[in-house]
Amino acid sequence: MTENLKQMQDDLYHGRIDEVESATRQALDGGMPAQEILNQGLIAGMDVVGRDFKNGDLFIPEVLMAARAMHAGLEVLRPSLAESGASTLGKVVIGTVAGDLHDIGKNLVSMMLQGAGFEIVDLGTDVSPEQFVEAVRSEGANLVGMSALLTTTMPKMKTTIEALAEAGLGNQVSVLVGGAPVTAAYAKQIGADAYAGDAVGSVDTARQLVGAE
Amino acid sequence: MTDAGNTKKPLIRYLSDDQVEQIHAGSLDLLEKTGIEVDHEGGLQALADAGAHVDFTSKRARIPRELVFQGLETVPDRFTLAARNPDKDCPLVPGGRPYSRNGGGADFTIDLETGEFRPLLHADVKDYFKLMDALDGISFIAPVFGQDMPVIGRDILMLREAFAHTDKPIHLRAFTGESLKYMFEMAAIVAGGKDALKARPIVSLLEAPISPLKFLDVTVDALWLCGEYGIPLDVCVMPIAGGTGPMTMAGNVQLLNTEFLAGVVISQLANPGAPLQYAPRPMAMDMRTGFSLAGSVELGVMAAVGAQMAHFYNVPVSLHGPWSDSMTHDGQSVLERTYMALMAALAGANVLVGAGMMQQSLVISHEQLVIDDEVNRIAFRAVEGFEIDEERLAWDAIDRVGPGGNFVEEMHTLKFLRGERYKPSLLYRDSREAWEAAGSKTMLDRAKEKAISILEEHQPNPLPVDTSQELDRLVALALKSLA
Repeated sequence: MTENLKQMQDDLYHGRIDEVESATRQALDGGMPAQEILNQGLIAGMDVVGRDFKNGDLFIPEVLMAARAMHAGLEVLRPSLAESGASTLGKVVIGTVAGDLHDIGKNLVSMMLQGAGFEIVDLGTDVSPEQFVEAVRSEGANLVGMSALLTTTMPKMKTTIEALAEAGLGNQVSVLVGGAPVTAAYAKQIGADAYAGDAVGSVDTARQLVGAE
Repeated sequence: MTDAGNTKKPLIRYLSDDQVEQIHAGSLDLLEKTGIEVDHEGGLQALADAGAHVDFTSKRARIPRELVFQGLETVPDRFTLAARNPDKDCPLVPGGRPYSRNGGGADFTIDLETGEFRPLLHADVKDYFKLMDALDGISFIAPVFGQDMPVIGRDILMLREAFAHTDKPIHLRAFTGESLKYMFEMAAIVAGGKDALKARPIVSLLEAPISPLKFLDVTVDALWLCGEYGIPLDVCVMPIAGGTGPMTMAGNVQLLNTEFLAGVVISQLANPGAPLQYAPRPMAMDMRTGFSLAGSVELGVMAAVGAQMAHFYNVPVSLHGPWSDSMTHDGQSVLERTYMALMAALAGANVLVGAGMMQQSLVISHEQLVIDDEVNRIAFRAVEGFEIDEERLAWDAIDRVGPGGNFVEEMHTLKFLRGERYKPSLLYRDSREAWEAAGSKTMLDRAKEKAISILEEHQPNPLPVDTSQELDRLVALALKSLA
């Protein structure tokens, strides 16, 4: 591995956005293939971040800063990657369901998924089934994330899943649900594809749903 | 010794007087400079009319300090949570004794028979109200909801069950402004009319802005309705340090104090003199998982600081008492809730909130309620202190017994045999032999037995038949109108 890539990983680990961006540009200008910079530099860097996070050495805000730095690098690579046919992990339409205005958990999941390389369309809070359907259709999303904090709004997850099916989008998207009162059993019962118990778990689950691991 | 009377009330004090002033000044500055978001046209208009700088497009209200001073001027320094049975009234007075309530809003339970974790159901709701009605260490009662109850009107049905199963004060939770109005009408029926309810409010309400600094329309509606009906209000401010509030304890307290003062302004604009209490519920985000913690010791510290601010403003204060992040009623649960309850009581809380709740306020259990009845009563006892005068200092008794004697047969001992000691209901204090002979039961076993026997034997004080019927008619009407 070149010094440049090593430094890039270190900068990424510490969330140094500008440094990662310029190092990516330098490597690309130096003739290194975009895919190699992505795999050996950015993704390898994030793997270290992920490992240390799981070990409890890093905290969520540090992971988010690293993810932002990775994104800065990814933006530089995007045109070259597009040429070579590579794409993002997937597009996620995410929101807190109708009647529910709590969003800290949903925001955390958004940030974590974005950091992991997903494209995020955040519909905010109090999102109706129709709004979910419309966004999935217009954005061509392949994942839907729904959050609820209240048992009174949880049933809206089911309504939304039904609305997606009725709109003929059931095969296009996988549905991931979460939120304090939501359980894996409930997710199964309403026909969701997966349940995530926390923001960190949502990344692994989302990756599995899109077949990334 | 000329000072007869009780000992001083112990008070945890983290802040110097200067630091209290610093936080107060910081809140005044933030309300003027940053302001609050109010998602309520009428609320914004009232703030604008009163002199706030309002941007109706961004829904931002910047509140000049004069408005805060005005609100603090009219807010009462005490009020009573009245009970259907006046013997169970809870007068909340700054510096007065603490009361307690269960944590509200649980959605899951741990089955009393099987120990299984499962959704809380309508049948459980009745049992919980009945159980809490019987436990003296739980002074008033907050709603828990059955997941098999209809979504629309669940809050109203909950109140109906509460009235049927307890004559203690009831702490409401409403899902919409419309259902809240029906609930106040229900309370008026039980209290004997709207004026009687105003004179003796048998229900109270908690409303919380969404941190940071955002007041939803339903919150503003509730503040207004509370004013109209004279219902006491908990201005519950719960920024999550590191998530919806600053990471630092100082910053989180600064934010919650600012949100509290904004709540005072809105409440007192709606109805000058409306009773309210400060309910600081500082939370902390676990920076590893994103979960909001309920039982970390820093929460107790921040809440104690909130109590100090409440004393500065001279209003009653409600803090989280027995609270825990534990998944079940185990050792972690008892450990966390004991220090939380003691810290809250020693900080001068008027209400210890949380009995029964575990796992980020999602889970309630019978055993935990019975244990928390004991935790609360121990906390009450801890801050009660003791009487001190010449006789109790026992100079003559010590002189009579002299070196090497004992006090067992002393008249002084006989005289004060009762009243000095708290008598626990769950703690085991006898011999190992007796304990083994009785089945080597743990405290949890005893709590379970006590819960079962209360459910079998306790008879709540029923509502008069005509009141009951009138309530049923209103509930039917409300459900129809909300549907």
